[in-house]
Amino acid sequence: MVSSHDFKQIDKFLYEVPQSYRPDMRVPARFYADPELLDGALGDKSLEQLVNTTTLPGAIKYTLAMPDIHQGYGFPIGGVVATKLPDGVISPGGVGYDINCGVRLLGTHIYRDEVDPHLSDLASVLYANCPSGVGKGGSIRLKIGQLERLIEQGARWALKQGYATEADLERTEERGCIEGADAGKVSERAKKRGNGQIGTLGAGNHFIEVDVVDEVFEETAAERMGLAPGRLAVQIHCGSRGFGHQVCTDYVKRFQKTIKQYGIELPDRELVCAPLGSPEGQDYLAAMKAAANYAFVNRQVLTHHIRRSFEQALAGRVKNHQVFQVYDIAHNMAKVEEHEIDGRQVKVCVHRKGATRAFGPGSPVLPGVYRDIGQPVLVPGSMGTASWVLLGTEGSMAQTFGSTCHGAGRTMSRSKAKKTIWGGDLREELESRGIHVRAGSMPGLAEEAPAAYKDVDRVVDVVHGAGIAKKVARLVPIAVVKG
Amino acid sequence: MPSDPLSQRSPLAHQVGFEEIEHTADWALRVHGRNLRELLLNAARGMNSLMASNLDNIPLDVEQQVELEAIDAESLLVDWLNELAYWAEIEGLIFREFELDHVIQTGLRATVRGGQVSHFTKHIKAVTYHNLDILETETGLEATVVFDV
Repeated sequence: MVSSHDFKQIDKFLYEVPQSYRPDMRVPARFYADPELLDGALGDKSLEQLVNTTTLPGAIKYTLAMPDIHQGYGFPIGGVVATKLPDGVISPGGVGYDINCGVRLLGTHIYRDEVDPHLSDLASVLYANCPSGVGKGGSIRLKIGQLERLIEQGARWALKQGYATEADLERTEERGCIEGADAGKVSERAKKRGNGQIGTLGAGNHFIEVDVVDEVFEETAAERMGLAPGRLAVQIHCGSRGFGHQVCTDYVKRFQKTIKQYGIELPDRELVCAPLGSPEGQDYLAAMKAAANYAFVNRQVLTHHIRRSFEQALAGRVKNHQVFQVYDIAHNMAKVEEHEIDGRQVKVCVHRKGATRAFGPGSPVLPGVYRDIGQPVLVPGSMGTASWVLLGTEGSMAQTFGSTCHGAGRTMSRSKAKKTIWGGDLREELESRGIHVRAGSMPGLAEEAPAAYKDVDRVVDVVHGAGIAKKVARLVPIAVVKG
Repeated sequence: MPSDPLSQRSPLAHQVGFEEIEHTADWALRVHGRNLRELLLNAARGMNSLMASNLDNIPLDVEQQVELEAIDAESLLVDWLNELAYWAEIEGLIFREFELDHVIQTGLRATVRGGQVSHFTKHIKAVTYHNLDILETETGLEATVVFDV
């Protein structure tokens, strides 16, 4: 276990484990924290997992962890690793099983006082229209050829089917389609798992949440995003469902066999990887992109269900029930990007495992509406607590390969949360604070209790203070839908 | 204690054979077995206990054959559990009777019996290789399996 003697503080919110800590490290490991978050990180194996990521061949400059770091499997959650092309590796475990798990933020023209009398109805209609929970399937069943078109076209498929608007695509990372997805690199099992789950939330920490904009910190940026104090917004947090889980499972298995031929030795088999330029690495990349596109479609179809729900519950009851997209961004993904490293532009594969891309102002990949202010970053808090809208900065480009935090980060195990917190009590407590809860499972609710998570405001203070993101708006929840 | 626990056959164990252990983000089980066959059985039972309650009430009206090949015993354990998790997700099936006819470190052949479950307590997204080592102990074998949930 990494202890406080093993790292040094190099800035107010930045710490480094030097390369000399372990002989198999290829680069140092850095992490962002304040003293309290640092104590939390020392309480589990997350820093050791961060050090393990430095052993990946091709790792460049340093590997990183965001202040919401916590123990995962292989990579820590909150980990960012850039590997240099073409010999650097890609690691399916560095993306995770829920490929392109991410967050979508929708804006509205509705003010809190308008919706209050109808909020309970809205929560119930959202729960009825957006399938959630273990084993809950969606209403879309496709023939295999149609599913293959969906995963190769991503959000464009949703647009053709009437589930999206052009403006939705414009405000989605990569316009909701990563080019190079190849259905031929995806197993039949993955397709079978994914087919019945399009437009579903799933279980675990996934949710739909209706929020109110509580405070705005950057007026111009908030206005550009359509966010104003007192107005409602909606967050969707979910990913690629069984489709992505199977893609990761298949390639982690395949790479266990092929890693030996590349002579790669790793401290944890879940870090298994292949050179990005190898046939195996290219196959995984094409399959991962397919799963990423599936996830973009999944959140898009849920957006369609949310629009239907707002119409059903609020049409004629509020002045304008229309819902528009603010942004959609992944936080489990590997992407080939160019970054300036030691004064040179270098092509790298950036793994973000529970970390969000946070490109600064001027990035050519951002949509026109956000190019001059930077990329919106969506940071959901734990259930019942605040969430944040941030912007990518020049600092994130310089320090973190254009990355920042993704959420609050767990601090208590699920089994402990379930033992110490009763889902029914938690629901009552949230309802007493004016938060409408619609959840399929009370034990599942308990696992996601706010007490099981770090303080998201503290996490955001660190990334803001370190200059790797900038605060735009704080949201507070008024209705939560969970599986 | 068997001289070569990985290759021994033994009757099904009646002890629990698994325990939940703390993991910040996901679920983890420490699984024991006198040999590889028993380790695989106990791991399957442990995973079942995460996925559903009242396991004894699950009908035994579905029977399937499972054949797996793997590069080593750890991979076999992951593949075995992933196979069972797959059927749980796709068909809502939990298998609770297992006849492991043939088990070696790199493969198994089994007949599994179970039935459909209407309510799952947990969704297993995947079984991971995180720090996965099958260790020899004084009483047989032990492995810690981390599940992505």
